[in-house]
Amino acid sequence: MAGTKHHDYHILPPDIAPLATTIGALTFTSGMVLFMHELPGGHFVPWLGMAILLASMFMWFSKIVKEAHAGDHTPVVQLHQRYGMILFIASEVMFFVGWFWAFFDFSLFPSELAEVVGGQWPPKAIEAVMDPFALPLLNTLILLCSGTTVTWAHHSLIHGDRDGLKKGLWATVLLGLLFTSIQAYEYMHAPFGFGGNTYSSAFYMATGFHGFHVIVGTIMLIVCLVRAYKGDFTPRQHFGFEAAAWYWHFVDVVWLFLFVAVYIWGGWGYPTH
Amino acid sequence: MKSGTNASAVSQSVKALGISLASVLAVAATPAFAQDAASAPAAAATEAVAGSYTPMKPTPGVGMPVPEGIGLQDQYSKLGEYGAWIHNGVLLPIITVICLLVLALLIIVVLRYNRRANPVASKTSHNTLIEVIWTLVPVLILIGIAVPSIDLIAKQYKPAPKGALTIKVTGNQWFWTYGYPDNGDFEVVSNMLNPVTGPTINNGIRKVGSEPWDGPSHLEVDNRMVVPAGEPIRLQITASDVIHSFAVPSLWFKLDAVPGRINEKVLMIDKPGVYYGQCSELCGAKHGYMPIAVEALPRDKYNAWVMTHPGAKVDNPNAPAGSETDYLPGEEPAGAAPAADASAAPAAVEAE
Amino acid sequence: MATTAEHFQGHAEDHGHDHDHKPAFFARWFMSTNHKDIGTMYLIFAIFAGVIGGAVSGIMRLELAEPGIQYLGFFSQLVGDDPSNFNATLHMWNVLITAHGLIMVFFMVMPAIIGGFGNWFVPLMIGAPDMAFPRMNNVSFWLTVAGFCSLMFSAFVPGGTGMGAGTGWTVYAPLSTSGSPGPAVDFGIFALHLAGAGSIMGAINFITTIFNMRAPGMTMHKMPLFVWSVLVTAFLLLLSLPVLAAAITMLLTDRNFGTTFFDASGGGDPVLYQHLFWFFGHPEVYIMILPGFGIISQIISTFSKKPVFGYLGMAYAMVAIGVVGFIVWAHHMYATGLSVNTKMYFTAATMVIAVPTGIKIFSWIATMWGGSIEFKSPMVWAIGFIFLFTVGGVTGVVLANGGVDDVLHDTYYVVAHFHYVLSLGAVTALFAGFYYWFPKMSGKMHSELLAHLHFWVFFVGVNMIFFPMHFLGLQGMPRRYPDYAEAFAYWNHFATVGYMIMAASMGIWFVNIIYAFAAGRKAEDNYWGEGATTLEWTLSSPPPYHQFETLPVIEETAHH
Ligand code: HEA
Ligand code: HEA
Ligand code: CUA
Ligand SMILES: [Cu+2]
Repeated sequence: MAGTKHHDYHILPPDIAPLATTIGALTFTSGMVLFMHELPGGHFVPWLGMAILLASMFMWFSKIVKEAHAGDHTPVVQLHQRYGMILFIASEVMFFVGWFWAFFDFSLFPSELAEVVGGQWPPKAIEAVMDPFALPLLNTLILLCSGTTVTWAHHSLIHGDRDGLKKGLWATVLLGLLFTSIQAYEYMHAPFGFGGNTYSSAFYMATGFHGFHVIVGTIMLIVCLVRAYKGDFTPRQHFGFEAAAWYWHFVDVVWLFLFVAVYIWGGWGYPTH
Repeated sequence: MKSGTNASAVSQSVKALGISLASVLAVAATPAFAQDAASAPAAAATEAVAGSYTPMKPTPGVGMPVPEGIGLQDQYSKLGEYGAWIHNGVLLPIITVICLLVLALLIIVVLRYNRRANPVASKTSHNTLIEVIWTLVPVLILIGIAVPSIDLIAKQYKPAPKGALTIKVTGNQWFWTYGYPDNGDFEVVSNMLNPVTGPTINNGIRKVGSEPWDGPSHLEVDNRMVVPAGEPIRLQITASDVIHSFAVPSLWFKLDAVPGRINEKVLMIDKPGVYYGQCSELCGAKHGYMPIAVEALPRDKYNAWVMTHPGAKVDNPNAPAGSETDYLPGEEPAGAAPAADASAAPAAVEAE
Repeated sequence: MATTAEHFQGHAEDHGHDHDHKPAFFARWFMSTNHKDIGTMYLIFAIFAGVIGGAVSGIMRLELAEPGIQYLGFFSQLVGDDPSNFNATLHMWNVLITAHGLIMVFFMVMPAIIGGFGNWFVPLMIGAPDMAFPRMNNVSFWLTVAGFCSLMFSAFVPGGTGMGAGTGWTVYAPLSTSGSPGPAVDFGIFALHLAGAGSIMGAINFITTIFNMRAPGMTMHKMPLFVWSVLVTAFLLLLSLPVLAAAITMLLTDRNFGTTFFDASGGGDPVLYQHLFWFFGHPEVYIMILPGFGIISQIISTFSKKPVFGYLGMAYAMVAIGVVGFIVWAHHMYATGLSVNTKMYFTAATMVIAVPTGIKIFSWIATMWGGSIEFKSPMVWAIGFIFLFTVGGVTGVVLANGGVDDVLHDTYYVVAHFHYVLSLGAVTALFAGFYYWFPKMSGKMHSELLAHLHFWVFFVGVNMIFFPMHFLGLQGMPRRYPDYAEAFAYWNHFATVGYMIMAASMGIWFVNIIYAFAAGRKAEDNYWGEGATTLEWTLSSPPPYHQFETLPVIEETAHH
């Protein structure tokens, strides 16, 4: 390391994780091309890429945790992390804007020319939609509830109640898993298939990406749970937890929009199943 | 057509302005406009008997780019004349002046405030008045531009009158088809003629120049889109595979052909002639080889052309004259004349 | 500039003592967490990509020198096409323009101006020891490289009519979906995903760094304008790129998994893709130019020996350009069949951007006004920029008019417009920045003579290439054509001659770089003298491996 530093910023030693992550990412995307075109390696390379990606991310995040313990995360560095997470969530919001844009384009201006749509919404090809007030409503309640349990965990953490932290996290993780399972069940029993028309496309991709985010959020919370058992997090310093919680709330809010726009408004008055 | 001559007289003077400005920008002298736009198209002498048609021979320089040209193509529609006036009479002068102003200021600064001329730099870094000026003046200029510009857009969207002839244009990889639902629903398939040299681009299509009426290479097609001149035509444009774009520069016309959409716009051509255009949306390998040739004929000759198709019928025989009077895209532009000289407003769009 | 040298306390401590324990080669360049090394890698990568993108445009100009198809067959064979398949030969043209556009935009300008200069000078200018997230900084770089690799893969696999992705840089559906079976377009889409992810992380890094790591006393309103420009740019990246990511993901699922976002037979809408693309695409063009604006501001102020005129106006003009840049996207879509009100709205909104841009142009001139200007090479490039960008900007205002764009859209007029703002605007700003900071980064002085020569030859060359394209466009020559009617031959030939002149100027540039490393004088800390007042000039050239180990303190000033 260079001379003595007189500031609170975090100057890092060289690290292989970024390059490894990138190699994983490029292997994954290239493997996906092979897979999608049924080329040799298509069933192997994507998994390899995914494995490299996950391993390097694991390496990367473990280092962050170690650095936190080493005291590298001074208050200003924690502030960086807050900014970073908020900005990341802002970019995620814009990602969903894209999917909602497609959804509203299709639902407000259904194609007159395509036979499968026939100028109506939901399109002709859709015989029935999901009843929003059945499983989707249940899922809404589950997610809302998980939002409160994660807050419970947070409060416990702040007040030094480790037990409450673990319980709150357990509850949140379980609710998250429950949500994902119900969503999977719902997909399997949906009265319409994947693709082929605008409704199916917008529905599955928007809710699917949301589901993917739920899974990512659940993994983040599981990591927090593991760390909670290992004794990590102090009432004053626990940004890893907060980041996961913020992310979870974000996922929650996206769901509310999906629920109201796609499930309720998007299928209003249509036969349900 | 009476208005045709009027129009071109005025557009000529607008063009003169355009030329002088263009030559300010570019040193190059231009033979581009030397072509007399008003010269009547050398229409092939065809009797207007039912069911006869010989393609029209295009007039060089009309409805097509000219060698070494530097300005807009001459316009053969009212909207085009208006649009060309906005470009040549409003936009081009304004942007030229702005560029010259910036250039002049830079030159002044370089001459007066170089280290030798001005050894000690001032420390001025504010002057509210000048900052307000260079904010407000551009605002005013832009408003001046926006007024005729918005007006042009409004005119472009005037719907076709009832009874207007409808023609369906479909872009395909890589040719155009033109459907005539009002004339018995026949269809014309239009392929580019093969260039004289080089590999064959369209199999089974003749080479350009093998008929006396063939226009320029890369622009001429085997079967043109024939339309009546002087009356509004409703073009319905779509595509069968990927996006194409139906564009004819001398008619100020460009509208994308999008699969799954029917885009509609009125086309009205001032006078008979052949007007060339090219596909203007990237559509794959032969995007460069699917030109458009619009042949505008007087009504009677158009009818005669129609009748050369099996099962064809003449559309709405009373429509043409009537519709010309109640439909004039680009009526009354004078009121919309911008800050610039109102008299320069295109008389082109004055009716008759 | 709001801040001038007198008000900074440079830190002598950073000079002199040799505490630069640099990591060994592999660790230093493959595992870097140092903003200057990462910046250097970005610059080298951008130059590499720029040479490739420039060479591709050379092939294009060669083919366009004469009507007919002359060279495409040869190049299509290089990537493995069947020479007897004429459609594949023609497809090669589309592959070339696609590669050229994508390389220049995503792998030359963006890495150079944000990744390169941004990384190097944002921390230096705000008095920070490094970026906020040094490790993430590195992954941003490598993802850009990965994106480039993915794009290169695409050239050698089937794309539909021939090898490679021939969709144009805009990747419009359905040409990019049903119109291009074969893996090439998928590689191209993933190239954008990878590079885009890198850029989003870069944006997060810059925003965090600029908000949180300014030296004590450096308020937002004392930040150098280059830092402001990167800040605004980072916000544009952060908010626009994810929308592109969504759009190209839709392309991917339409292509491979049966969704119908853009497939008309399933009710999808090809125009939706264009909305999503341009919602990103228009901010993207400002992403490419704003940091250039920042560089020009620094240079003009330095060599006029004056603070920037109307500093606050300059900063907020960029903010305004950024904000308005998000609500004008459909001016790229006037020909798609927009409704009349939509077309009018976008016409009016687009023209608004000329106002803040004008403020910038006039403030630069006012900065020079009353100055004591030294015509060092960066200044000459900067003055060139002001003029060339104005020419490009005003033709943008012409295109903004929906009714006029009807005749100009997708013609060479548009090509002329955007090369004036990019190849003559952004690239000129890049070279200005390059000559301004090269000695700071390398420690070696370049030759001023060669730098001036480079400018003049470049200036003549690029104007010859691109000015006649206005004529071609007005005459109606469509873009994305490998072949054209005889009437267009004259100016196309002229442009190709211009290309050769421009190419010679690139030669001069490379000679200059070699000269600098081989025989260049050692650069002093502040080799531009009294006008150069920002913090990087208080450091050695090159700066120590870790600078500002004691943070500089910016004194309270009476300024504004
Ligand atoms: C650096 C990149 C850059 C920049 C800065 C700009 C700046 C502008 N652009 Fe450009 N543009 C592109 C890159 C850029 N553009 C690209 C790449 C495309 C094509 C994409 C594709 O299809 O592939 C494109 C296409 C494009 C189109 C679509 C054309 C078409 O496809 O039909 C339009 C239409 O409105 C447009 C408008 C503008 C305007 C109004 C500005 C304004 O911001 C310009 C403002 C500047 C000035 C006006 C000059 C300085 C001002 C003054 C001196 C003050 C006084 C001036 C007045 C009062 C007018 N651009
Ligand atoms: C930044 C963007 C950029 C730049 C610099 C250029 C540079 C050039 N471009 Fe182009 N171009 C585009 C972006 C750019 N272009 C885009 C987006 C398209 C549309 C594609 C599409 O239709 O999809 C296009 C299309 C396009 C066409 C139209 C093709 C067609 O429609 O058929 C042509 C034709 O001549 C052309 C030519 C050139 C030439 C001769 C140059 C020359 O100026 C090139 C010379 C090279 C340089 C000037 C760069 C040198 C820079 C470096 C080496 C790096 C320097 C780095 C540092 C200093 C750190 N370009
Ligand atoms: Cu059809 Cu381009
Ligand atoms: Cu734009």
